[in-house]
Amino acid sequence: MSSRLDQPMVYQIRVKGHLGPQWTDWFGGLAITLEDNGETLLTGPVVDQAALHGLLRQVRDLGMPLISAVRVKPP
Amino acid sequence: MSTPILATKLYLPPPRPGVVLRSRLIERLSQGSHRRLTLICAPAGFGKTTLISEWLAGCDRPAAWLSLDEGDSDPTRFLAYLVASLRTIAADIGEGVLSMLGSPHPPPTESVLTTLLNEINTIPDNFVLVLDDYHVVDARLVDDALAFLLDHLPPRMHLIIATREDPNLPLSRLRVRGQLSELRAADLRFTPSEAGEFLEGVMGLNLSAEDIAALETRTEGWIAGLQLAAISMQGRKDATSFIESFTGSHHFVLDYLVEEVLGQQSESIQTFLLSTSVLDRLCGPLCDAVLLDPSASGQEMLEYIEHSNLFIVPLDDERRWYRYHHLFAELLRQRLHQSATSVVELHVRASQWYEDNGLDMEAIHHALVAEDFERAASLIELSWRAMDRSLQFAMWLGWVKALPDELVRARPMLSVAYAWALMDVGELEAGESRLRDAERWLETTADTSVPSAEMVVVDEEEFRSLPVTIASAHAYLAQVLGDVSGTVRHARRALDLLPEDDHLGRAIPGALLGLAYWESGDLEAAHRTLADALMGFQMTGNIVAAISGTYGLADMRVDQGRLQEAIRTYERSLRLVMEQGEPALQGTAHLYLGLSGLRLEQGDLEAAKQHMLKSEELGEHATSPDWPYRSCVAKARMAEAQGELDDALDLLDEAERLYRRSPVPDVRPVAALKTRVWVGQGRLTEALGWACERGLSVADDLSYLREFEHIVLARVLMAEYRSEGADRSILEAMGLLARLLQAAEAGGRMGRVIEILVLQALAHHMQGDISAALQPLQRSLTLAEPEGYVRIFVDEGTPMARLLSEAATHGITPDYTGRLLAALEAEAHESEHKSYSPPDQPLAEPLSQRELEVLRLIAQGLSNREISERLFLALDTIKGHNRRIFGKLSVQRRSEAVVKARSLGILPHQN
Repeated sequence: MSSRLDQPMVYQIRVKGHLGPQWTDWFGGLAITLEDNGETLLTGPVVDQAALHGLLRQVRDLGMPLISAVRVKPP
Repeated sequence: MSTPILATKLYLPPPRPGVVLRSRLIERLSQGSHRRLTLICAPAGFGKTTLISEWLAGCDRPAAWLSLDEGDSDPTRFLAYLVASLRTIAADIGEGVLSMLGSPHPPPTESVLTTLLNEINTIPDNFVLVLDDYHVVDARLVDDALAFLLDHLPPRMHLIIATREDPNLPLSRLRVRGQLSELRAADLRFTPSEAGEFLEGVMGLNLSAEDIAALETRTEGWIAGLQLAAISMQGRKDATSFIESFTGSHHFVLDYLVEEVLGQQSESIQTFLLSTSVLDRLCGPLCDAVLLDPSASGQEMLEYIEHSNLFIVPLDDERRWYRYHHLFAELLRQRLHQSATSVVELHVRASQWYEDNGLDMEAIHHALVAEDFERAASLIELSWRAMDRSLQFAMWLGWVKALPDELVRARPMLSVAYAWALMDVGELEAGESRLRDAERWLETTADTSVPSAEMVVVDEEEFRSLPVTIASAHAYLAQVLGDVSGTVRHARRALDLLPEDDHLGRAIPGALLGLAYWESGDLEAAHRTLADALMGFQMTGNIVAAISGTYGLADMRVDQGRLQEAIRTYERSLRLVMEQGEPALQGTAHLYLGLSGLRLEQGDLEAAKQHMLKSEELGEHATSPDWPYRSCVAKARMAEAQGELDDALDLLDEAERLYRRSPVPDVRPVAALKTRVWVGQGRLTEALGWACERGLSVADDLSYLREFEHIVLARVLMAEYRSEGADRSILEAMGLLARLLQAAEAGGRMGRVIEILVLQALAHHMQGDISAALQPLQRSLTLAEPEGYVRIFVDEGTPMARLLSEAATHGITPDYTGRLLAALEAEAHESEHKSYSPPDQPLAEPLSQRELEVLRLIAQGLSNREISERLFLALDTIKGHNRRIFGKLSVQRRSEAVVKARSLGILPHQN
């Protein structure tokens, strides 16, 4: 697996509060997983760094508390 | 400048009735207002804007407000709005900045900001500038501009920035220096008691202490959350059960609450809210156009929504324009996205309404969002003239680049405009390729008066002038690239296509043709052609354009040895400017700068300084784009004439950095000017290095464009002979000078002839042959006397003094020679005086004359900027002097330098 950051990568963004499945579209097709502790995981491929920043900006503009953003190995 | 300024962006939101009084935060804002910057940094919905407007209402300082949007990432637009907002409290400031921004190639942002700062300094009262929503600006250039502003913030100004993310400013430095006051999310959250006061006092809810605590905990004091919760509860009897399900849910607070709030609204209100959420700003008629629902009135809806506290913010006092709270709008848009409504259709309708109401920028924005590219392309094509005039190339280019390329290529007018815009920002190759796209349409169309079927043209009148526009653009491109014959060919084609009486149309290709003749060295044709073109501008009322070419005309006269006529050229343009009245037109400062240089050449240093001062006083606003470069070169010349060779070199370095390739021929390259100074300093290695780097040789073919360099090469060779005594050097120099003389005479360039003759005289003198020297000297004196030349002789110093004395004994131009000798003597006396005047300096490395001068001005309390203005030096040069002064005195700062210099007796002790 290439570790170059300009390659598409799978990211997992963890925010506080549950989001309904209808938000999938809004977040560019990221999968939405609701955790029992009240957090939401947004998981999916992100084209590049610019797209990642765009995603984080969307989270910011919703006023959603961001807990973490990590790069994960694709399954 | 004609940038449309939206007043709604400058609207200072009035304090809202019935809000929680947050005295602890108000108090902190008041305390922080004595620092430079207050940063209010927290996520959406934390009451940032409300808090600032509360504080401003109770504070006695006037405030300027600017709500930023994405468009403000364009630095030109940002600055235009910054000025517009400041004008709400000081109506007459910023004129200078606006006209600088209005020039085709605005000067570097730093000089625009310096002008702005000087103008801000005239505001007599303490005041506040608020930049709201700074997070939407995503541009390094704007961040840098703001950092510069903060670094030089006038003492009476306080800046407040409200943002969702820390701005890209030197925050830690500001913190350390105690110049920053901060309010962050933790400060802005409602405390439990504020939450209670809000829910009960403001929203009129009757809740138990436990309910309030539960809501406060669930929302974590997030004001937007509490507000939505309160609105949800207002219509309910069973607040407690609402609170139970809300606090028991894991749902994202806003997601949950917006659902609740919307659920309580009627169908028509819900539709209205969702459909209008695509709009950045709302007004009744716009909403009507977007909704297309005759049964509802947009204005009434907006008033109802405001009345119901549904997160709408008025943008003026007339209740005409509104916007949704950003957070609320975001959630509405997400829901709209889910609904069956066609978002594209909404944007198209919004675009249509904006177009009908003459708001191009918004019309284009919505067309692009809707991806209705045909529509967007037409709007963008039609907006070019206005955007070009208001210099918003960056934004306009952003629009065109958002269009599919094949669509742009199908539109000849759009392609030509694209080409000009690209050339304006220096992307010559890309510009040329777009020009070719446009041209292809002309080749395929036999009849150029009507657009053919396949091509798309929205402005048919403009289309008829397409061949001319293309030819002019080609001429411009060729001229910037130094392709003289190309310029001549294209400019002539444009002129052939234009009727004789289209004075304005002919002016642009005419001016380019004049510049091409100039570059080729045909000064008579160049002067005549350029003067005609400038007259064309003048006849059609384009005075700024008419005077913009004055220095070209004057420079040609100087090379022709007609100093007096060059002076009259500037004076004529100045009269033209005077007739227009105040404020001085763009380009006026250049006229004084030009006069300054000519008076200097005539040996009148005082008059030269006066003109230079006048050009500086006019402020940088009366300048055009190449001002920073030209002004540095002029100051360097003045420093050189005063024997301050290091300063001259600093200024020339600066000029070299500032130089931008333009259609104006570079007939006196800065590198050659620097070499002349090196020769004066005896820095032969550097001078030879220049000649080598430029590939100059005495065997070169001669051309006007390189004439100046070849004359400097002769000087370098003479310096080499002086230092090393090799006959080859002087013989080569003499051979080169003889050829140069012939070429300059053939071209009628008597200004150059005089200098070449002077050098020939000096070369003979170097070889000890005074009588051979007298011959060229006599000729140069005869040519120079009627024009009043002084520096061209005096600059040569002692050897010239010897030669002139000899000329005097031979009775050559006796009055003139006497005057020149007096000037040389005065100069020698001056430099003697200079070299003996310094006080004893108990320093390992004594301060230079200039450093002492700077130090004295520091001791008088002048700022670096004031010193730079007083000494006609670049700010960076002064800073360089400061560093050297600090180093030599082993101190860190200005105040220490003064104390140390006094204790060492370098400066007189204070009484």
